[in-house]
Amino acid sequence: MMNAVDTRVPVAVLTGFLGSGKTTLLNRILTENHGKKIAVIENEFGEVGIDNDLVIGAEEEIFEMNNGCICCTVRGDLIRILGHLMKRRDKFDYIMIETTGMADPGPVAQTFYVDDDMQQKLHLDAIVTLVDAKHIWEHIDDSDEAKKQLAFADVILLNKIDLVAPEDLERLEARIKSMNSMAKIYRSRDAVVEMDKILNVGGFNLDRALDIDPKFMEPEYPFEWSGIYQLNPGTCEWVMGEGPDPTMGAALLPLANTGLAAKEATLMDAVLTFSDDEQAIKAGEMMRLGKGQYNQLVLNESGETVFNIEIQQPGYYMLFTEHHPDEFDARLRGADSVPDPLEAREYKPDHEHDEEVTSVGISVPGDLQLEKLNSWLSQLLQVQGQDIFRMKGVLSVRGWDERFVFQGVHMLFDGRADRPWGEELRHNKLIFIGRNLDRAALENGFRECLAA
Amino acid sequence: MMQRKRKSKRAQPALKAIWRANIDDHPIGLAWSPEGNILAVAGVSGPITLFDGADGAVQRVLPGHALDTMAISWHKDSRLLASVGQDGKVRLWDAETGAQRSEMAGGASWVARVAFCPAGDWLVSAAGRKLRLWNSGGELIREYPDANSTITDIKWRYDGKQFAISAYNGVVLYDPEQAEPLRRFEWQGSTLTLEWSRDGKYIATGDQDSTVHFWITASGQDLQMWGYETKVLELAWSFNSRYLATGGGTQVVIWDCSGKGPANTRPIMLEGHQQLIKHLEFQRQGMLLASGGNDGLLAIWKVKKNKPVMLADAVFRAPIAGLAWSPDDRRIAVSDESGTLSIAAVQGN
Repeated sequence: MMNAVDTRVPVAVLTGFLGSGKTTLLNRILTENHGKKIAVIENEFGEVGIDNDLVIGAEEEIFEMNNGCICCTVRGDLIRILGHLMKRRDKFDYIMIETTGMADPGPVAQTFYVDDDMQQKLHLDAIVTLVDAKHIWEHIDDSDEAKKQLAFADVILLNKIDLVAPEDLERLEARIKSMNSMAKIYRSRDAVVEMDKILNVGGFNLDRALDIDPKFMEPEYPFEWSGIYQLNPGTCEWVMGEGPDPTMGAALLPLANTGLAAKEATLMDAVLTFSDDEQAIKAGEMMRLGKGQYNQLVLNESGETVFNIEIQQPGYYMLFTEHHPDEFDARLRGADSVPDPLEAREYKPDHEHDEEVTSVGISVPGDLQLEKLNSWLSQLLQVQGQDIFRMKGVLSVRGWDERFVFQGVHMLFDGRADRPWGEELRHNKLIFIGRNLDRAALENGFRECLAA
Repeated sequence: MMQRKRKSKRAQPALKAIWRANIDDHPIGLAWSPEGNILAVAGVSGPITLFDGADGAVQRVLPGHALDTMAISWHKDSRLLASVGQDGKVRLWDAETGAQRSEMAGGASWVARVAFCPAGDWLVSAAGRKLRLWNSGGELIREYPDANSTITDIKWRYDGKQFAISAYNGVVLYDPEQAEPLRRFEWQGSTLTLEWSRDGKYIATGDQDSTVHFWITASGQDLQMWGYETKVLELAWSFNSRYLATGGGTQVVIWDCSGKGPANTRPIMLEGHQQLIKHLEFQRQGMLLASGGNDGLLAIWKVKKNKPVMLADAVFRAPIAGLAWSPDDRRIAVSDESGTLSIAAVQGN
């Protein structure tokens, strides 16, 4: 489908776990005076007209197709409701669709690519994902839905930021950017966000996506956990049960105070310490304390193993462990108490990286040969379509005066001529977001499509 | 309506307009009364206009449904018209006086389907997963257990003794006298529409995944036809139950169900539309097929096994929104999305 002027009605899909603030945001959109006529399709029943706008309740009906292809899975209720809405004389400026908390954004996004009636009259403008900045940590590592909601997003709203410490917010933002570098991230409390941030996003902010400040990328750490303890002079014990490994690396470092700067400094010390030579520590032996003292705790063959710790200076200490203490049922035991950590933090283990959701951005000058591009893309999507959640690009195609813009969901994509390049330097930028992405292969494959 | 430029010099019978009107709304339903004296046209915004079938004079404008009318159906005696809409209601109108006779609750906010029995006094409505059977007095005869998903279509068998519904997961057959379904034709996919062959031997369905299904009602065997460009919402059986015309693309695909049936046969293909076909209607007693598309083209075809021909055509300004042959087959009512309504006779056939 190629046409220069897009007259289709833009659609935004609102995703986010229960409690992330979707309803608050929708109510705000419906009551705010933004001069637009908006139809909202909610997860609740009942149809209500609110002033100029319309709210329609819908029940998610996921239509899986007989051929078992995930990209043919669409939302049947949306096809019906939107198909009907498009017949009305009173045209809407914008349509917003709220999904249920656990929804996979795939089927709803695919609906706008797979169904001809939808594709002719509507276009997916933005997937907006609301994130409960405090509770997202409970899902971000384990929930496929949470990962997909973040990976699919064009706009991510970190909501309820008033409930989170600034450093945790930084960490969250960095983590999200490592998964989806394309999304624009905004912070809000009570889902307060300017309407133009989520309506008519119009998609192609690839410059931003491709120029990620490397410091935002969350580094890989050689440890999975740290805990901050306030300890007094004397001895205490680090008690470990049986676990998945016979040994575990650990470092115990003093912490000047509980401020962000001090924690960051100690974190860096810990990274260095874990790269030092390890020293085996057996049951009943004293753990070494301080920078450069990398303890390799050797467990008894069965039962509990107790390691001793001697504290001379009262104050804060940060204990870093190679694995999560829970895996060994490990804990600190004082003379007459079991001190809990004041703060604990988990780190993304580097060895799980392959299954992680990541973004691969490609930026290459030159003109593309359309046939080569088509055959590369179609083959790529056939093989890897299930793992590629989103892709977007602005391409320079030989023989075309206009920019070629495209975006896709899984195996489906929609490309069209955009505005003329004019004075602008002809250049190709595209981004893939998904699982198991091989950056080198993608970049090489793309370069092969350049016109000779 | 204007004549389309033709490449061939062959003289073609023309479509002669009998009357025209405009309802200034997107027409979503177009239904001749069984006697052929009234043409009811529902606009998406609600009102239902009753035109005199002979000259197009407006007889009544029924208010319809405040939040969009979705479907209409005539009672066999041509006096009652049923309508359903997004106000959650089924309404029965007296076509003669324009008065509302009954107002019934469909069971959910969007009542999308309604079908009067062509033979008896039954009326079936579907709202989401709710299926309800009424009589023409507006009394609820039966509420069925909820369907698996939203009911997409309801069609009576031509003798009025059974009706079938489609939903995600296939088709369910009912006898209006019984609460339990007669039969389920299960298939894991999204069935969008269904059509009985006149003899009741087949039920054809159009599906979201660009396929057409044939169900042999006696045995429950099925046959899947694939290769369509897009989802299939357009199905029409010829009166002799021989041909099923299907849309789902820019070509009309016609399956011949005579002999051993359509399996492993090459369908008849009709070319002429530039954009997706949206409506197909066979005559009730003849072999003319009308097709209407997003390109605004109305084409009338004579369907024959060896050389199907386009007998007449006309181009409307907007995509075709509906087609209906008059009960005597002599005229065809056509509407387009701009609200234009044109009643034409096919000459020279």
